[in-house]
Amino acid sequence: MNYALIALGITLIFAIMGVLNFAHGQMYVLGGFVTYYVYGVFGLNYFVALAASAVTVACVGLVFERFLFRRVLRITTREESTMLLAAGTALLLDSLGLALFGEKQRGVAPVVAGVYEIFGAFVPASRALIFVLAGGLVGALLLFIQYTRPGRALRAIAQDKETAALQGVDIDRYSALGFALGAALAGLAGGLLVTVFAVNAGAGTPISIKAFIMIMIGGAGVVSGAILGAFVLGFSEALGYFFIPGSTTYLMILVGLIVFLIFRPQGIMGKPWG
Amino acid sequence: MYFAVRHVSVYYDKVRAVSDISLVMDAGDVIAIIGANGAGKTTTLRAVTGLAPVASGEIWFDGHRIDRLRPDRIVGLGISMVPEGRHVFPFMSVGDNLLMGAFARRDRRAIEQDVERVFARFPRLKERRRQQAGTLSGGEQQMLAIGRALMARPKLLLMDEPSLGLAPHLVREIARAILAVNREEKVAVVLVEQNSRMALKVSTRAYVLETGQVALEGRSADLLNNEQVRRLYLGG
Repeated sequence: MNYALIALGITLIFAIMGVLNFAHGQMYVLGGFVTYYVYGVFGLNYFVALAASAVTVACVGLVFERFLFRRVLRITTREESTMLLAAGTALLLDSLGLALFGEKQRGVAPVVAGVYEIFGAFVPASRALIFVLAGGLVGALLLFIQYTRPGRALRAIAQDKETAALQGVDIDRYSALGFALGAALAGLAGGLLVTVFAVNAGAGTPISIKAFIMIMIGGAGVVSGAILGAFVLGFSEALGYFFIPGSTTYLMILVGLIVFLIFRPQGIMGKPWG
Repeated sequence: MYFAVRHVSVYYDKVRAVSDISLVMDAGDVIAIIGANGAGKTTTLRAVTGLAPVASGEIWFDGHRIDRLRPDRIVGLGISMVPEGRHVFPFMSVGDNLLMGAFARRDRRAIEQDVERVFARFPRLKERRRQQAGTLSGGEQQMLAIGRALMARPKLLLMDEPSLGLAPHLVREIARAILAVNREEKVAVVLVEQNSRMALKVSTRAYVLETGQVALEGRSADLLNNEQVRRLYLGG
């Protein structure tokens, strides 16, 4: 479910802007650190911390969109320009994270205590909470995109930007909204997972790569693909860590991905947005 | 004058696509713009809707100067476009496509009534309201594109090649729909067409474009009988 949040965030940004957000993992890390400080250090309510993570990272996304991506997208049509810019923002956040937060691994105490037994498996209550929260957020996002006026505008931009403008959609405003929302999702995922895995300033790049893998499996720019990709990756990881020792798992996942892409380069659900 | 394009030029990169074009029309009128491929018909419409930057000249609509406005502001003033190639949102339902047409409006109840009006005008769309627009036939997509444009309650409707790629009986149906919309909704129509015969029959006045300039203008009935127009655009 957390992976779904990450994959949906990066999908949203890609579908609206045509930008592959290399800094997605770094945004996730930033969200984790914000929750770490607000909840772990200052001791405020966990939900306040989550909201702070979402808002902070959304603001970073807004600044990136408004001052960097919008301008580059206006002056050039070459895809490598935005890719380089995206890679640059990732490096920027990486270095800033290291400078601000140091290199230490930061975790927080479980949000709720206790253990549930579900179908014979023992699940810490804290993990169950995170799972439910992430699921709720994914559901809320899908409902927002499917049934609200701004949601329709975002879908319209993803499918046909010029025609969306002809219906009266302010493209700049809604692109900013899409970017901020995608970033906020990364921040929320960070705030949720910091309670389970802890974060450190260098964790961004692997998360970005995982996000790319998920949308490659599912199909870039497709909501259903993002969710599917997240589940495929999540299950592959779980199975791999259970049956295969250590780091071999990711090697196998990546080899599997390459083979998969040879046969279906557009991903499982590969088509524009729906 | 209700709608006027005055001495407008548009460049794509450094190439002049439209040079010094002037058009005028009254409220409630139907005018046609005809001409060969690449004569600048679509570019003219793109300039009016704000999609193509106007290099020189002015465009006026209903007392507003609109040639420096963004597309979404121009829609808000009451100009809707039925784009060439229909451009329905393919992965959205028919119903959501219509709602997108009303994006500039906030009056939710009236919007719902207008959806029903579009369905009354094009019953085929009603049967398919939950279907993805990309799965509709060409004729149905064209009706959806027209219905979507009407959802904005426009005062001026721009139509770019609505007959393109449609079978003759569908072309007649679209032509009837254009006239009905013009009369019943009191919408002025600018019709851009390669199908010159249809365009001249539907419109009251027409402009003939050649290589980005107005080559000829006049009453459509006169142009239908004009020797040069017959030879070049009506096939004999």
